[in-house]
Amino acid sequence: MKKILLLQVLCLGFAGTVLSQTYTDAIMMKKKEICFAFMYDQGTWSEYWEGSTLITNQNIGTFTRSTYMPMIAYGITDKLNVLLSIPYVSTKSDGGQLAGVKGLQDVNVAVKYEAIKKDFGKHRVSALAVAQFGTPMSNYLSDYMPYSLGLGTQELTGRVIGQYEFNKMIYVRATAAYVWRGQTEVERPYYYNNGSYYTTFMEVPSAINYQAVLGGWALKHNLRLEASYNVLNCVDGDDIRRWNMPQPTNKFEVTQAGFFAQYYFKAIEPLKGFSLMASYNQVLEGRNMGKATGIGGGITYQFTF
Amino acid sequence: MKKITTLGICLALIVASVTSCENELPTHFKFSAYQFSDLDVNGGSWQPILLSSATDVAIDAPDAVNSTEYLAELAELKSAAENISGSQADAVEYWTNNPVIRWNEIALELAAKYNLIPPPNPDGTYTLPTAANPQGPPPFPFAHPPYTSRMLAYLSVAQFDGLITAWHYKYEYNRPATYVTDPTIPYAYSKNTLPSYPSDGAVIAVVSRDILKAMFPLEHDYLNAKAEEHLNSLKWSGSSTTSDIEAGTTIATAVKTAAIARAQSDKMGAAQTPRPLSDQIKQEAIDRFGWSWDNQEVPVRPVGLTPRFGQVTMWNVPNVEDVRLTTPPAPGSAEFEKDAKELRDIAKNLTNEQRKIANWWSDGLGTYTPPGHWNRRTKEYIIKYEMNPLRAARTFAYLNMAVMDAGVACWDSKYYYHYPRPIQTINGFKTILGTPNFPSYPSGHSTFSGAAAEVLAYIFPLEANNVRAWAREAAESRIYGGIHYRFDSELGIEQGQDVASYAITRAQADGADD
Repeated sequence: MKKILLLQVLCLGFAGTVLSQTYTDAIMMKKKEICFAFMYDQGTWSEYWEGSTLITNQNIGTFTRSTYMPMIAYGITDKLNVLLSIPYVSTKSDGGQLAGVKGLQDVNVAVKYEAIKKDFGKHRVSALAVAQFGTPMSNYLSDYMPYSLGLGTQELTGRVIGQYEFNKMIYVRATAAYVWRGQTEVERPYYYNNGSYYTTFMEVPSAINYQAVLGGWALKHNLRLEASYNVLNCVDGDDIRRWNMPQPTNKFEVTQAGFFAQYYFKAIEPLKGFSLMASYNQVLEGRNMGKATGIGGGITYQFTF
Repeated sequence: MKKITTLGICLALIVASVTSCENELPTHFKFSAYQFSDLDVNGGSWQPILLSSATDVAIDAPDAVNSTEYLAELAELKSAAENISGSQADAVEYWTNNPVIRWNEIALELAAKYNLIPPPNPDGTYTLPTAANPQGPPPFPFAHPPYTSRMLAYLSVAQFDGLITAWHYKYEYNRPATYVTDPTIPYAYSKNTLPSYPSDGAVIAVVSRDILKAMFPLEHDYLNAKAEEHLNSLKWSGSSTTSDIEAGTTIATAVKTAAIARAQSDKMGAAQTPRPLSDQIKQEAIDRFGWSWDNQEVPVRPVGLTPRFGQVTMWNVPNVEDVRLTTPPAPGSAEFEKDAKELRDIAKNLTNEQRKIANWWSDGLGTYTPPGHWNRRTKEYIIKYEMNPLRAARTFAYLNMAVMDAGVACWDSKYYYHYPRPIQTINGFKTILGTPNFPSYPSGHSTFSGAAAEVLAYIFPLEANNVRAWAREAAESRIYGGIHYRFDSELGIEQGQDVASYAITRAQADGADD
């Protein structure tokens, strides 16, 4: 659990929600090792893509999404970890009259399995698989975008991760994931999605996620730095209609670049086991979502149970 | 390896649990053709709305059932009905023997498709949709609640008049149903003794297509395709021969012409006023009352939605001032402050139930609007009570005339009183629903719903308690949403009820209750 959240979830305004990097990195807790983390991430945007057209809307103004996320990672064995996170989200905007919301979003649990770990001299190859399940923790309304806390649906993510480390100093990592999403229950009995729907349920599109990371160690292996490139695209869905509200059926797409740093207090005795994290990321391209800039920070504490 | 297997099993279980709670997402009301509770054999004598009587449209007597011409038609029909493909069978199943329902759904779908507010231009101005250039941008129409209420009224009234006329000639000429004359014709729906000439299905298909084409000029291809499928389904189902359909088309075309003539002179074209007239209307309110409503959007919309919809020709109310509301409490008065405080309190402590009610009845931009919501509930009752197409059309006609009249009455009061919205009068007030671009008093939802509920209570007396409770909830929903004061909602319901009483008085005298 040594890192923060570069990947941002995919909805309009959701850029700012953090998906802990822990779910996507190649780091494992050893058996009986436990790590607590607390992370904060703030995403802001003042432009968004209506379909694929970037627009501003002064009745939203600048939109801010803040995520506070406690997380636990635990090593069941050296090769099998379990992760749990519970984000609390608040949203607001400085234009217009719509009220922001706040509350618990989706609990996520994951198991992470290290299938391959091979050393070739100073180089190392590892391959991992992660299965992650998320479900809403409160009855927040997903159909209140961009202010809604989340997509209001169950999510099941299957992810594979591969990493190659050179000289234990520089590493490259790639991940690919498929995010299955179910339906979300909304509070209106009718909606339009390229046609009439007479139901309170909306289909939330599933998504494919790719990530490429270049990382390295500095300051005697106390500081870790990463640059990442993320793509998360829904496999179907409709576009936001002209000057209309977004809705959970929309086809969200985001391409994002990020930077991440983590400093481990390995040598400073009273702080041993702690680390501090910071992140910055920027949405480069998108569809039906905000062009968000995100900053984040966090603290972790790791010990053997 | 064992762990991987365990992991795989867990994953499969989770996938199964996620997919098992998936719900079907219906795109139209699922029902099958049904036996009508009554055929309304005297329906041809009912009083129509646009026509003076069913005989305004002349329909020649059909060929005799034993004529060569008709026998050839029956043979053609039998061949069409006997050899239908899978998609043709689907069409027969979809259209049913009460296709009034489907055309109402098509109308609601187009309302939702076109209910998009024009966006600002880069220079901060707004371009409004115009029938003269329907492509836009923005496209025409903006199917807001007044527009949609009027669209539905013309659709339903034209269907009603067309079916009264069809019923008249059905029983005048008494050509038996196709499957009565030739029992070997496979008929897809529940058999009854309704005469076949002219085809009621063709009346509905053609008049609905033509009214909706007038209301949605960019949808001609879509509507032509729908009508073509519907007309073909009349043959695939064994319902109507060519001459039945031709006579139905003649009726539909005559009624459509009468409906379009009324629509062209009902003053809807002047409802969206130019800026100077809009400013004058506002100034008159300031002079009268000392207050006015201002749009709060950025950039400001210089003209509210249809300031002169209140002067559009009503169906059943002689003069809109007959149903104009009394003056609301002045901003700052004790009575006003009481209701403003209620809004602040609700916003602070909104319950889940209140939020749900606000969203359930919101029917805002991009949806079928409150008139559409009431049409949807009406549709469900029509099927529950197994109405025939004529009775269904009458139900929609009186509902939608009353709902449009409620809109006209409401808009008259809205722009006469020009009352500011809560986001204008309460400093820093935030809402969970978007505030519409027109004055506050009274609430449109409440007026539409008050009128709709009374008409439905008249037609479906066993449902009176339900529909009135829904109307109260719809009115209340606007308070929970933070966009209306309680006096907007309460007076809106009263105005809607008042307007509905005119429609009900007329309905009681049209012959259908005899």
